[in-house]
Amino acid sequence: MEDTLHSLMLGFSVALQPSNLWYAFLGCLVGTLVGVLPGIGPLSGISILLPITFGLNATQAVIMLAGIYYGSQYGGSTTSILMRIPGEASSVMTCIDGNAMAKKGRAGAALCIAAVGSWIAGTFGIIVLTIVAPPLATLALRFGPPEYTALLVLGLIFLAYMSSTSLVRTLLMACLGLFFGMIGIDNMTGHFRYSFDLPELGDGIGIVPVAVGLFGLGEILATPSKNVIGEVIRPKLRELLPSREEWRQSAWPIARGSVLGFLIGIIPGSAHIISSFLSYALEKKVSKHPEEFGKGAVAGVAGPESANNAASTGAFVPMLALGLPTGPITAVLIGALMVHGVNAGPQLITEHPDVFWGFVASMYVGNLMLLALNLPLVGIFVTVLRIPYAYLYPLIIMFCVIGVYEVSHSIVDVWIMLIMGMLGYALRKFGFDPAPLVLGLVIAPVFEQSLRQSLIMSNGNYMIFTQRPIAVMLLIVSAGLLLMSAISFALKRKDWRAKLAEVEAGEGSS
Amino acid sequence: MDRRHFVIGSAATAAALASKPSIAQDAYPSHAVTFINPFPPGGAADVVGRPLAAVLEPIIKQPCVIDTKAGAAGAVGGQVAASAKPDGYTLLIHITSISGFAEVDKLFGRQPKFTNADFIPIARLVADPCVLLVNDQQPYKSLKDLVEDAKKRPDDIIYSSSGLYGALHIPMALFAKAAGGLKFRHLPTNGGGPALTAILGNNSQVLVSSVSASLAQIKAGKLKPLALFGAQRSKALPDVPTMKESGYDVEYYLWVGVFAPKGTPDNVITYLRTAIDKAAHTDQFKGAMTNLGQELGYLDQADFKKFWDADTKHIEDAIRQIGRVDT
Repeated sequence: MEDTLHSLMLGFSVALQPSNLWYAFLGCLVGTLVGVLPGIGPLSGISILLPITFGLNATQAVIMLAGIYYGSQYGGSTTSILMRIPGEASSVMTCIDGNAMAKKGRAGAALCIAAVGSWIAGTFGIIVLTIVAPPLATLALRFGPPEYTALLVLGLIFLAYMSSTSLVRTLLMACLGLFFGMIGIDNMTGHFRYSFDLPELGDGIGIVPVAVGLFGLGEILATPSKNVIGEVIRPKLRELLPSREEWRQSAWPIARGSVLGFLIGIIPGSAHIISSFLSYALEKKVSKHPEEFGKGAVAGVAGPESANNAASTGAFVPMLALGLPTGPITAVLIGALMVHGVNAGPQLITEHPDVFWGFVASMYVGNLMLLALNLPLVGIFVTVLRIPYAYLYPLIIMFCVIGVYEVSHSIVDVWIMLIMGMLGYALRKFGFDPAPLVLGLVIAPVFEQSLRQSLIMSNGNYMIFTQRPIAVMLLIVSAGLLLMSAISFALKRKDWRAKLAEVEAGEGSS
Repeated sequence: MDRRHFVIGSAATAAALASKPSIAQDAYPSHAVTFINPFPPGGAADVVGRPLAAVLEPIIKQPCVIDTKAGAAGAVGGQVAASAKPDGYTLLIHITSISGFAEVDKLFGRQPKFTNADFIPIARLVADPCVLLVNDQQPYKSLKDLVEDAKKRPDDIIYSSSGLYGALHIPMALFAKAAGGLKFRHLPTNGGGPALTAILGNNSQVLVSSVSASLAQIKAGKLKPLALFGAQRSKALPDVPTMKESGYDVEYYLWVGVFAPKGTPDNVITYLRTAIDKAAHTDQFKGAMTNLGQELGYLDQADFKKFWDADTKHIEDAIRQIGRVDT
């Protein structure tokens, strides 16, 4: 412990050097912008700025690039709340209640809670990272294919709880997402599936064009038909601060989101996205007023926004301690370190203590900067709403197209985005929630691959899932949840039918 | 292309090629040269290509741009380069796996998107020998132990790879064949990183990886190197015998090379060979490669062509050996 404190002091001495402070600030600022702009995710932001870092030293490079990553988790909430367009895939859940709060005139409060929640979760994540990085990284390594499969089964079952419409509709959307996720080269046999001879489809349908199309374009297409003429929210300055009641309601969700997010973050995968989904489901389950979710529940903003920040910090644990990327973003960061001759791995802490501890310390500083950056700017972001739709929406469509094209310079991606936009519009009109579709798409390739890898390992024997303690535990939790939902499903059968009828009548609520 | 750049570029080129008579308008290069990187940022082609572009710029007096066209394990970028205008302004940086795509397509009865004949090799920049690894929970002390155990329980020892027919699948297939048709169970993942995760977590027991990617784990004692796929022992791992020393005639490297599309004029190729040769031998580039844990493995066109042809034959053999996996 004392060693840790000493090392951390060394880290702060590195992180507080003016040039390092500057790069941390730059990273956080770019991250916030990347987060605000739909379609441009942290991965493309980091990739675009990667060449610039070749002129810097390793510490500066990793401080700046990591700043973009966790900074984007702050900014992502802004457009979610104000425009119901997730700036980041991980802010999808914030759209639901954040935007509902904005419609009730609590846009400022929602933004404020998201920023403060992000700060608390981010700082919490770094404290845990500082203390327990090595033992936790070992746990993440024990997540082999069977554990993944079990985790994703659990994730899918959680998904069933998130339905703001009906259970059936949610599962239908999730299945559609899983189906889209099947498109592309089969990793196990090399066959092309549903790719219609388009090489671009060989890699499958990207998450970015689908998310931007469904949430960005679909929303914009749906807006004019909704008759929301001139309903621009003009929050007064004092409304920017959440009320005491709202603070009270967000305290526990922030705490739960921080812990949940961090734990999911250290597990490889699109952790920051999955964590926000799970946090939302969790908050809805533990809430005394689950009926408020979807209509502007404070917990529905505070939980997921905290979770995605904690997850982005958690993702650094296996990266720093073992040199193992948990996703494409940490993979790029490892690449950036390697260019500077620093090998992320078990020996990073001993061989390059200045890089490791400087980086850790810079995240404490960076999170403070982000809070300072985001809170005063909340007012500026709110004014975005005052721009008439006639100007704002074409601009957003432009950003959607450019952003999607920018990811892999593929015109096919732009077409996918446009088609998904039409689909998103249609789904909205018929009262389907597109969020489960995106989650299905995200987990489909991982789910399929880990299931098939597990079966390769066991030579086709499904009992492998019962032979691994972590997998068994996850599956038991899944079974329990399924059982509980089945019981309530059977008991409230009439209610559920009544609800479905309501949904079909266009008054969807859970 | 604005006029000022044009004039400066042409003048510089004319000076560089002083010995050759050239008309200003035709002088190559008159504008930016694009290097297609077919892998996501941070991949082998990227980390080698970027330092190269940086040192090449002052030599050819034109901007060198890295354009990332990732997808289908490098096939998308290869296809883009193969169909680019062969004027020397679009070049390709690719790795060992470039030679395998056509054979895999053939295996599935598909029209190959491109073959080796679609490219002119210009230079090989680095060649990182692969190393056969087992994790620290395995009892094997030497390659012999592993081979004996694999004979005893065929299709039971699991090895992970970067993907089916991928750059880390091929060497294992080559070794299994050279060792008399050993049978291992293949666990494909989607990249070198996940393949490493699998062996560290003992979800696989064997992995063939490049030295640079696994050195940190080897030094930490998490992975045991049993044999090197290089012609000589590696400076980083002097105690590890080569495959040839162990009695198996296998050689395999993860190399990175520069290619031009077929039909690029000879004078442009000659110019590029000279320029890249110079760039690759700068201290700056060599330093960047040392930082990556690699050494300059420079081969000029003639040698590279010979090497590439031989390498392609091995890779095609290995792919046919693996065959179609219909499970």
